[in-house]
Amino acid sequence: MKKKLLSLLLALCLAFSLAACGSSDSTSGTSDSDTSTATDAEASVAAEEDSTSGAVDGTIMLGMIGPMTGSLAVYGTHVANGVNLAIDQISAAGGVTVGDATYGLAVESKDDQGDSTEFLNAMNALISDGIELVIGSATSGCTSSITSVSNSEGVVLVTPSGTADALTTEMDYVFRTCFKDSFQGELAAQYAADEGYTKVGIVYCSADTYSAGLRDAFAAAAEELGLEIVAEESVATMTEVDYTNQFTKMVEAEAELVFVPFYYDVTGPYLVPQARSVGFDGILLGADGVDNTETTIPDGADMSVYNDFLFVNHYSTELATSDISISFVESYEEVYGETPNNFDALGYDAVLVLKQAIESCGAFDADSVQAALADTSVVYEVSTGTFSFDDTGTPIKTGVLMGYSYTEGDDAVTKIAVTTLSLD
Amino acid sequence: MRKNETRTRYLVNFIAVVLLFVLSLVMSNAGGDTLKLKVVPSIWQCCYLIIMAASLNLVLGFLGQLSLGHCGFMAVGAYTAALLSLAFQRAGFYDEKSGPAFLLVLLLSTLVAGILAALMGLLVGIPALRLKGDYLAIITLGFGMIIVNVINNLPFCGQQGLGQGSASSALYATGLGFSNDEKVQYLWVAVLVVILCMTAMLLFVRSKYGRAIRAIRDNEIAASTSGINVSYYKVLTFTISAFFAGVTGALYSCCNAALATTSFAFTNGSILNSVFIVVMVVVGGMGSMTGSVIAAVTLFLLNYTIKNGAWVSALPAFLQNVFTYPMLVYSIVLIIVILFRPRGIMGSREFALCDVPKWPGRIKAWLTSRSGEKEASSHE
Amino acid sequence: MTTFIQFLITGLRLGSVYALIALGYTMVYGIIKLINFAHGDFIMVGGYTLFFMIPIVMNLGLPGWLAVVPAILVCACVGMLVELLAYRPVRKKGNNLTSLITAIAMSFVLENLAQAISVIGPDPKVPYTLFTSTFSIAGVSVSSATIITVVVSAVIMVALYFFTQKSRIGCAMRCVSEDKEAATLMGVNVNQTIIATFGIGAGLAAVAALMYIAQYPKVYTTMGATLGIYAFVAAVLGGIGSLPGAMLGGLVIGIVQSGANTYISSSMSDTFVYLILIAVLMIRPAGILGKNVGEKV
Repeated sequence: MKKKLLSLLLALCLAFSLAACGSSDSTSGTSDSDTSTATDAEASVAAEEDSTSGAVDGTIMLGMIGPMTGSLAVYGTHVANGVNLAIDQISAAGGVTVGDATYGLAVESKDDQGDSTEFLNAMNALISDGIELVIGSATSGCTSSITSVSNSEGVVLVTPSGTADALTTEMDYVFRTCFKDSFQGELAAQYAADEGYTKVGIVYCSADTYSAGLRDAFAAAAEELGLEIVAEESVATMTEVDYTNQFTKMVEAEAELVFVPFYYDVTGPYLVPQARSVGFDGILLGADGVDNTETTIPDGADMSVYNDFLFVNHYSTELATSDISISFVESYEEVYGETPNNFDALGYDAVLVLKQAIESCGAFDADSVQAALADTSVVYEVSTGTFSFDDTGTPIKTGVLMGYSYTEGDDAVTKIAVTTLSLD
Repeated sequence: MRKNETRTRYLVNFIAVVLLFVLSLVMSNAGGDTLKLKVVPSIWQCCYLIIMAASLNLVLGFLGQLSLGHCGFMAVGAYTAALLSLAFQRAGFYDEKSGPAFLLVLLLSTLVAGILAALMGLLVGIPALRLKGDYLAIITLGFGMIIVNVINNLPFCGQQGLGQGSASSALYATGLGFSNDEKVQYLWVAVLVVILCMTAMLLFVRSKYGRAIRAIRDNEIAASTSGINVSYYKVLTFTISAFFAGVTGALYSCCNAALATTSFAFTNGSILNSVFIVVMVVVGGMGSMTGSVIAAVTLFLLNYTIKNGAWVSALPAFLQNVFTYPMLVYSIVLIIVILFRPRGIMGSREFALCDVPKWPGRIKAWLTSRSGEKEASSHE
Repeated sequence: MTTFIQFLITGLRLGSVYALIALGYTMVYGIIKLINFAHGDFIMVGGYTLFFMIPIVMNLGLPGWLAVVPAILVCACVGMLVELLAYRPVRKKGNNLTSLITAIAMSFVLENLAQAISVIGPDPKVPYTLFTSTFSIAGVSVSSATIITVVVSAVIMVALYFFTQKSRIGCAMRCVSEDKEAATLMGVNVNQTIIATFGIGAGLAAVAALMYIAQYPKVYTTMGATLGIYAFVAAVLGGIGSLPGAMLGGLVIGIVQSGANTYISSSMSDTFVYLILIAVLMIRPAGILGKNVGEKV
């Protein structure tokens, strides 16, 4: 009898725990957000008390989605660094002024692991936690799967670094702080034409949104400007390690300039040295993903190969006219102990843009902020330059042409700003 | 007596399934933000994971062949269904995502997705006649890779097509891609598909075909000497399994409006990939259909709640830091489960509601056998 | 002509790395019949150890490649730990497939653990480049790293062959791979033998990591996944369990990949690698050099 009772008890326990598991899914979400909001609010209040200004009237929660773990983690963590830096600085400076009240800023961050399903889950979870302003995600591929959710649910989404054209094609709830691929591609093609090159080649990755998008834009602009595309080669993935065969073809086709829309993690160790090793000595021209190649140049290698390696970028600290770029770089180096890259800067800017929009409309619900951002006459002054939005929510910016230069004396590669680029 | 018992068991399970379906109908009529944003998308994801795991179980658990490219079939299904629905929409067959015309398109694209994937399964099934074990595993892996690579290079469905871009937004606006509201509205479709597929697969493994493939699994030579056409049954099982994976693909493209080939890869950062489907089958129990269901739902909930659940924030700070790496927790849990239940949660038993009252006894027997084992090993 | 030589050299360059990784892979598989998915991640561990150790070794005034010694030690320790903590308990109770799942789980554990360690993190790291000298054949420049990789692979292959054939542990390994129970009866300590196998296999991964980063100087936490798959394919193509087979398989895959890149379609080279694999296995079901063991009735 005792044994039966015991087993019944066990069974009940099991059933209860199962039920708890099942229901945690449906009910716990809100309570979770409540607690986390509360703790974040406390934290920010505490931060407030440390700083000079007095009490705040509440906290504005921003959502952030990015690949914090997994193979794309490097982009997500850098965006997060920029976002956190901006939020800390704003909090330290007294928070956001909304009407007569002052609010603190806090961020609830979700990890999407670079997967579209996880991305949808993360976005839905943020919305159900009552968050209406979301920053994310780091790459175009990830972002594309939730732009539709943000529009249909009416939540403002600011992507710091999703450059694909198709992300935002009309004035809706999706904005970005970077320029779009077609603009970059056109800038690159125009530079090639201005410098008098006639035979150009392209090496790109057909399976990647960023790379293929840039290639399309560059090819279209090049054709318009009368450049001859003598060779075009593709690789299977963005993590490809060998580019020698592709560049052998470039050499054979006698290309003077090759457009290479890749990220800095392959250009430094693989692409540039391999291109030079097969005898390609023309110009290598990349896009914003190339920035920070100086961090991926192996020690002990032949540094002179990085000469004539240029790229289109969002901003340059040397050509910067505003103090905000310089102060951003300084404070970033102070906090994180390394030079910021594009992802850091654009994540930082996303927060600044949202803050300015909130302050100008005096509210922080999605619709008011969207209306404020949709005003194309507003000028935003942020770390990557000064811009206003066009009628699709993409910044109208100028680009900067930067490059790497090798100095024989100290056997080192330095990053130089060549010129400012804008479309004719 | 025996027959009566079987009948009651079927009846109870049938009633449970009907209740489940009614529940889904009720849920889609009830409102609520949490429901729309968390519960319903979760159910959709569970639905495709369930069919995926169960269909792989046919090959892995019942036929005994390791397949490492199962998500490739799903990719074929997903892209077929998505493109087909877009084609119908462009042809003016339907305008908005409701009404009988749309339902017909939904049905048709799901079926075609399944059939195309089945053809691919047939292709994989042929090498399976000659190879087995790890050699077959690598062939299936290769097929999965080829499918993903080819899709990536098709201009209308690679990253520039359905991944994002005009085709992707069209898929969301007018094709199969469901928004959150439509997911609630069409929840019954997902649940119905799961019920139909699971019933079909259960019937298959209980039929003479099922007995034949289990005989092949246990001893291929003995099976062939008893007059079982081994080649025929192997190819048949691969084809059927691929068919259901294709159907799953159609559900997937409904659930995720944008399709990216990385989701169907051999491994990636998340839980939907060929490797993790194998994990689900093994954890659930090879040769147990209901085990696959339980494992798919459990692993999904584990993955989901690590990221979005309340209990993580209740943990001490150092554990929370560990939980920022969901895959780390996930894989440690996996190893622990494997250590304690090496034959999977269900072994090769099927779950039946009638057996629930017998559970305490079984769990106790299991516990005593474990402690017995421990004593025995400490004596060694 | 230049294109042809370039394609061969690129193929050799890729293939030699695959071959070296496949040797370690096939070694472990040959003994315990386990597809060790974590093998690629051992290479990641080796890569990071080298990244940290090369500057230290060079500061001591020694040649940089000597950093491979600590890397071998670290990798062997990680390999044996993985065997002790995960594979052994599971092997006792489960079957081949549960071991496979454990291997997959261990691979995820290693990848994510590496990301969680703050000095490693998700940022890719670029190690010091070794063996930078190049020479040219018919107008095409060849990195000495490529030649060294091929030589090292060949030496390791021969050494492993004699090790498994002649030494006592090698004999024990072959014994265990044939029949565990019988080996126990013959007085072979099965657990010790398997742990030694893992130590050697993981140590080989460190050597492979050295040659990999000499040619492709970048380490990141998920680097093991792709490398592991290619090594797996190479090992199976050559006949899994066969040491010369692993070497041949690696070279074939490298050359096919490079050839498809040059002459057919550069973005579809993966497809051709797998098509070749399927074609070879259809003709020779046990791989190029594998022995086809008939089943006894």
